[in-house]
Amino acid sequence: MIKFLLKGILRDKSRSLLPVVVVSLGVFLTVFMSGWMKGVFGDMIDMNANYTMGHVKVMTRAYADNEAQIPNDLALLEVSELINQLSADYPDMEWVRRIQFGGLLDVPDKNGETRAQGPAAGRAVDLLSPDSKEAERLNIPKSIVKGQMPQSPGEVLISDEFAERFDVNIGDEISILGSTMYGSMVVPTFKVAGTLNFGMAMLDRGAIIMDITDAEMAFDMTDAAGEVLGYFKSGLYDDEQALIVRDAFNQKHSDTDDEFAPIMQRLRDEPSLKQYLNMADNMSAMMVMIFVIAMSIVLWNTGLLGGLRRYTEYGVRLALGEEKSHIFRTIIYEAMIIGSIGSIVGSIFGIAVSYYLQENGIDFSALMENVTMMMPTVYRAKVTPELFYIGFIPGLLAMTLGNALAGYAIYKRKTAQLFKELEV
Amino acid sequence: MVCFCTLTYAQAASEIMQKIDKNMSSDNRIVESSMTIHGRRNSRTITSISYTVGTEKSFTEYLSPAREKGTKMLKLDDKLWTYYPANDRIVQISGHMLRQSVMGSDLSYEDIMDDRKLSDVYDAETESEEVIDGRAIKVLKLSAKVDDAAYETRRLWVDTEYYLPIKEELYAKSGQLLKRTTLSDFKKIDGRWFPMKLNFKDVLKQGQGTDWEIISIEFNGEIPEYIFTKGALKK
Amino acid sequence: MLAFNLAYKNLLGAGLRTWLNVSVLSLAFVLIVFYNAMIDGWNRQSRDDTQDWEIAQGQYWHPDYEKYDVYSLNDAHQQLSEQTQQIVDKGVLVPELIQQATIYPQGRMQSVLLRGIPKEQEVLKLPTDCLLSPNKPNVAIIGKRMAKAAKLQKGDAVLLRWRDKNGTFDARQFTIAAVFNCDVAEADQGQFYVDYQLMQEMMGFTNEATLLVSKLEQNPTIDHWTFQSADRLLKELDDLINSERISGMIIQMILLMIALLAIFDTQVLSIFRRKKEIGTYIALGLTRQQVVGIFTIEGAMHSLLAALLGAIYGIPFFIWVNSIGINFGSADMGITIAEKVYPYYSLRLVVLSVIVVLVSSTIVSYIPARKIAYLKPTDALKGK
Repeated sequence: MIKFLLKGILRDKSRSLLPVVVVSLGVFLTVFMSGWMKGVFGDMIDMNANYTMGHVKVMTRAYADNEAQIPNDLALLEVSELINQLSADYPDMEWVRRIQFGGLLDVPDKNGETRAQGPAAGRAVDLLSPDSKEAERLNIPKSIVKGQMPQSPGEVLISDEFAERFDVNIGDEISILGSTMYGSMVVPTFKVAGTLNFGMAMLDRGAIIMDITDAEMAFDMTDAAGEVLGYFKSGLYDDEQALIVRDAFNQKHSDTDDEFAPIMQRLRDEPSLKQYLNMADNMSAMMVMIFVIAMSIVLWNTGLLGGLRRYTEYGVRLALGEEKSHIFRTIIYEAMIIGSIGSIVGSIFGIAVSYYLQENGIDFSALMENVTMMMPTVYRAKVTPELFYIGFIPGLLAMTLGNALAGYAIYKRKTAQLFKELEV
Repeated sequence: MVCFCTLTYAQAASEIMQKIDKNMSSDNRIVESSMTIHGRRNSRTITSISYTVGTEKSFTEYLSPAREKGTKMLKLDDKLWTYYPANDRIVQISGHMLRQSVMGSDLSYEDIMDDRKLSDVYDAETESEEVIDGRAIKVLKLSAKVDDAAYETRRLWVDTEYYLPIKEELYAKSGQLLKRTTLSDFKKIDGRWFPMKLNFKDVLKQGQGTDWEIISIEFNGEIPEYIFTKGALKK
Repeated sequence: MLAFNLAYKNLLGAGLRTWLNVSVLSLAFVLIVFYNAMIDGWNRQSRDDTQDWEIAQGQYWHPDYEKYDVYSLNDAHQQLSEQTQQIVDKGVLVPELIQQATIYPQGRMQSVLLRGIPKEQEVLKLPTDCLLSPNKPNVAIIGKRMAKAAKLQKGDAVLLRWRDKNGTFDARQFTIAAVFNCDVAEADQGQFYVDYQLMQEMMGFTNEATLLVSKLEQNPTIDHWTFQSADRLLKELDDLINSERISGMIIQMILLMIALLAIFDTQVLSIFRRKKEIGTYIALGLTRQQVVGIFTIEGAMHSLLAALLGAIYGIPFFIWVNSIGINFGSADMGITIAEKVYPYYSLRLVVLSVIVVLVSSTIVSYIPARKIAYLKPTDALKGK
């Protein structure tokens, strides 16, 4: 029977094309919308996770107490061992080390003497390991204005604004007047591989990005790191899991008075972020719900219309002696087939577009002229597991429900009346 | 009568101060020293040799540990340059950076650079006399007579035999204690007494302060003029 | 008029289907109004807050003052001229002196910006009256973020160390007279407020300021001071909020599209099913264009009904939201956002939304209705 129905659907365009188009379009919009919402609401959270917090973050207790001052003298030691342990304990997480540092960016003249100086805010991440995701995580490749990513040790990226102000070109040498984790003053020199602009004043002011091994060398931090960040390999923040990991880790390191013992925080422990996360959760859940409801109503309507337009056909079929229940069942089956086709097509398109926008984003900078933004001008959608089923709720259920409601009219009336009413 | 007394007292105090200057300051000295910085985690010791002429010129070269070896510092008047051999760079330290601590110690660059004689900056008066560890100590209160003294008042606990302070406290204008220096291990070198051990402590900060120990000191040694040039930094 | 009457009756006659369409459209409508009102509300509140707490109607800066450059800050101050002082005395300008200093809460060292602001000023909302303390000579006020970072509370004492104009160290215990709660991070983070006169005495200055905060919108030029208008100082905030507006627009557009899809679908079906009716209209002497008009109006009328329906549940909803506000938490991300945002509904916003919905629904109603123009009246009468 399904074969028969399929043939009918395929051959009768009025039965198939429009409903399928409408359902696909509707499902597409719902799926894309959910992906978009997740992306936009997740932006700020992701930014926090990617730049500063990780999904979970390990520091020494002393470092955590004075985090704002970036006290590298209180950094974690024997980090490789710690990371090995963490990777073994939590294999579904990726662990990365980060070093932040402050100091003065010093531009030499041709004699190696100071030509210009400005405050620096540095960040060292793993840029050079072939399988490192850190550069993407910090959105570095896309933030480069001039030049390119550092390719070898000793190459750094500096803020475009600084480069412009002090006339620093790609390939020039710059030094950082900073101190080692033991307090010695050092002036490591690096080659500028490129300039970058994150589009956020907070991040861009005096920014220097370098590879973690360069920072280890420069600041005498071999096998040390200010922070070890953990990211779920899925890329998504899972609060429950983070809580479990945090509690287990802290439990393990709780039996000591050592102020340099490691302590773990999860993303949601950041108090301001907690409220935002809660709000974003609620808001996006609410929005998605409104969408699903709206879409359901629309598709229900489509189903209803689809049923209504075929009253004549039903009249004829009844006249031919077909059972009411049989007709009703075929209506439902058809609706389910159309709903499924539409939902699948719509979901595919919705996920595809969401994925495209997750990878590429939409750049709104053209709409915002001369902007010194604190927020990215590139918006991204996000593909979450939810997207794979959320479209089926309005697509399949509402479509079927609408058809069922339209088909219900068949039961309500006596066959004779139906003939009349159904304009046979 | 009272007036006369305080006057002689003050005279005595300024004499003491001048005698301290005579011990501590010199037109020319070469010092090899070690600085031990107590961090929250561990301590490190840095050795260096410095050549100083008057109060305006000073040249320091770090000798150890390996990391600091070859790092040089040149002070001319109120300017300061540092040289880093690892990448052959001369960096000027100016303005805001001068207030930073030197190598993580409790001393700032400014503290090191301000090398004026006490009697050039302060008026002294004797506050009290004490006996500490069986030695006669006079407590001197120094008040700035110039505008640009970093510390408006100081208090010196002076050993009246050696004319060296065993302790010095530096105060803010308000009278708030900011820093404390403890001096010990006095030795006679070239006819003057000199403390071989010093401990500097920023009392507002936690920690044990910074120990400074003199390995050798030579007054009126031969210091070639060329080392007080930027060119010498790279040699 | 006939067209309207017909359209209205037809629509109501269609019953459930119409109401389904209308309810979706009204949802889109309410969401558009709500979202934009929320952004407007945020924008207004943030602007108002920033103006109330930090910049008022603009600031006159010392020519060397750069907000984020701590290196040049200490030298960026100058004496107020007699003429300027007269304006200050009128209560129109509030001088602020800003210098770097260090506080030592519990033996930890923390850099702060020491800000001297007249305790009698009434231009900014800062509770400067708390700086008036006959009992304690040295009092300061700080914001909640600063209080948290330095682990300080009202009534606590903290040592402040600074250097006067000659570079001489000075340090005093300050009592925190008040911890104020404001949404403007820049007026709070790392800022330590003391009385202007007290700070002059602390630094050894006579009536020197880094910047002047202006109360009035008309701002004459003052020699040796660079005027920064409120709009200019608020630019970064405006940009940020606009970016939120744009990202929201996509969501609204999609929702509107869904609603329009429903109308479009309904229109297509109406025209398919009601050919006899169309034939009858033409037979009765209506031109085809008039018939197209009837059907277009019928479709477009969804939007009017949607506006009405939206108003019925939207207005109570809006009123309810405004009574409680939307809690954004103290989202401290360097962005000025009120703890509770109250959406702001302007007439312009509502009218604009109605027009957008009306125009777009008219367009989608018209597109399928165009088909009518090609129908032969005879075929139409037969329902073909």
